Amino acid sequence: MKFTHQLAALALAGTAILSTASFAQEQVNLTWQMWGDEKDTPLFQSLADLVTAEYPNIKVTPQFSGWTDYWTRLPVLASSGQIADLVAMQSMRMPSFYGVLEPLDPFIAADNFDKSAFESSIISGLSADGVQYALPYDVGPWLMFYNRDKFAEAGLAEPKPDWTFDDFKAAAEKLTSGDNYGYAVQAFDFVAQPVALGAEYFNDANAFDLTNPGYEAAVGKLVDLVAVAKASPVFASGAGAQTGSGRFAAGNAAMVIDGPWSLLTTQASVGFKVGVAPLPRGEGPSRYITAGSGWGISAASQHKDEAFKALKVLTGPKAAEILASAGRALPGRLAEQKFWYDVAAKDIAGARETLQYSFDHSTPFRLNESWNEFENLLTQYLPLALNGDNTTDAVLADIQSQLP
Amino acid sequence: MTLIQDTAVATSAPAARPRRRSGRREGRTAFFFLLPSLLGVLLFLVLPIIASLVLSFTNWKLLGKPAFVGFQNYIRLFTADPQFWTVLRNTLFFTVEYLVLNIIISVGLATWIASLKRGQRWFRVVFFLPTFTPGIAVAIVWMLIFAPGGFFDFIMKSLSLGVPNLLTDQTLAMQAVIIVSLWANVGYNTVLFNAALDMVPPSYLEAAKIDGASAWDRFWKIRLPLISPTLFFGTVMTAITSLQVFDQIYVMTRGGPGNATATLGYAIYQRGFQNFQMGYASSIAWVMFALIMALTALQFWLQRKWVHYDN
Repeated sequence: MKFTHQLAALALAGTAILSTASFAQEQVNLTWQMWGDEKDTPLFQSLADLVTAEYPNIKVTPQFSGWTDYWTRLPVLASSGQIADLVAMQSMRMPSFYGVLEPLDPFIAADNFDKSAFESSIISGLSADGVQYALPYDVGPWLMFYNRDKFAEAGLAEPKPDWTFDDFKAAAEKLTSGDNYGYAVQAFDFVAQPVALGAEYFNDANAFDLTNPGYEAAVGKLVDLVAVAKASPVFASGAGAQTGSGRFAAGNAAMVIDGPWSLLTTQASVGFKVGVAPLPRGEGPSRYITAGSGWGISAASQHKDEAFKALKVLTGPKAAEILASAGRALPGRLAEQKFWYDVAAKDIAGARETLQYSFDHSTPFRLNESWNEFENLLTQYLPLALNGDNTTDAVLADIQSQLP
Repeated sequence: MTLIQDTAVATSAPAARPRRRSGRREGRTAFFFLLPSLLGVLLFLVLPIIASLVLSFTNWKLLGKPAFVGFQNYIRLFTADPQFWTVLRNTLFFTVEYLVLNIIISVGLATWIASLKRGQRWFRVVFFLPTFTPGIAVAIVWMLIFAPGGFFDFIMKSLSLGVPNLLTDQTLAMQAVIIVSLWANVGYNTVLFNAALDMVPPSYLEAAKIDGASAWDRFWKIRLPLISPTLFFGTVMTAITSLQVFDQIYVMTRGGPGNATATLGYAIYQRGFQNFQMGYASSIAWVMFALIMALTALQFWLQRKWVHYDN
């Protein structure tokens, strides 16, 4: 009796193993989660189809959620075991979330995968502590968007790639009159612009050091532009991220700092010509941080080998060409960036020169696991300095005191 | 006599036992009928409450395994967190100002509507409308009105009033939040108090009028004491919801500028879902719970002084 039971159990287990093994060879369904809109589905489905074309046994299904929700859902999905096999990750969020991703280095080594085909700053941006966690699909430095029509009206020469902060300030002041501003400051400008001016917000141990003289001076320059020269409106803490770009699009501000990821949608939605220039530099040489996004493999995935195969296709040359030509992303792959310049951004003045100049002068974007907190605190506290309620140094000291 | 008693005892004794048994059976049936909602309460209310209490003694960061840290979160909250006392002060400031204004305005509106000869229903609907408009939508519309360069700034500029932008001013930002909260929530109390006022027997008011009581006296000495139980209910509920204020702040100010509008509700969200310090956020939630309990208990104690029940 006992023996027959054992035999039956063994037989059952055997068929179970056999069936899963044969199933794995036949068909693997991978889920692929990213931020985006339902209207992006056809575009990303065409990328998913590339995977099936190359590996007929792998089927990839994209799943979308909105940008803000994505980052709230990600840790919840990860801790409840519902995370997808392929996971979208942005370079600035990597320090907080690399724990949900599988290190890619063993796969890259086993496959002799060539990382040098990608822009180097975003390859390092999608790694943490020297370990690669995702492969990039897009990359971009922060840039100065400007309203070419307004520059022409004011008789101003369009900015050169190596323009200085003083040039920028003079232009912003000249373009300001009445309710129209030369520039619209946003919270993130207090990260990208100080770096371009040569300042550091971290100490050597990669911890926040906001009260160092260099960073205070650089933030002070931007604050003066708002509080003293009144060349930019103050942003409100609640809507900080949107109003600057909104004002630029409405023709209410002539310059705004943004990235190539929103360049084409901005140009499509405005009634004037958009130009781009690198961020103004300080006394020293130019220095630009870049950000970008990519896809990684979830640490909880049951099909990591297949997921890496899919990942190679999704971040491969053909996929990069599709996303670049559609204007969806400036590719992280260097060779395919031409499709973005030549097809999607062909009408934007200075796009190619500006971006190439910025990439040539890119500097690693230093981040740590408290980065989100830092950005939120900038949005929350900087209005106090911008409207003159408090000094720049006091506001930075206050933010510093709340960071670990 | 004894015979009757005996039979009565004899008949009642066996009858009592089945009744008890059937009572037990009924209880069991009732239990099974209650089970679905009981499970719901256990799963979605009791368990999360216990979980958050346990979490408040850990350093759980949403990703990874939590470790037990004892009272460290509470010690940090009361001694080390540079923001906590400001957050607590902001919460109490909001609650007091909002509660007082809400009750005064809603009692005023309710009395005014009750005094109307016609159109009472119409006004009740108008003032109740914001109550069933989603809070987030209300806050977004008001944020657009108050945003720098928005409609409010335009009006102030047109009238040549030197009012600074509400959302970027440290002292005015909280007032903007209070204005929005009042707009959204005054209607509920108005309808509640209006209904209570309509229940006041007209004979009392007529008698007082004949005796020469002025309208002012009739309001303070008859109507208000008679609606005081409803007034008490409205006050307690409004105080509880205002201690938990979150959506207006999330949309309009994100706790800023600086920490001018950072309240307990927003601090929980910020620590928990932006900084992923779930353990620490849970400890703030329990402090908020204790605060609400204490203030509600205080209100119940104070009600003996001013609430009049008829019976």
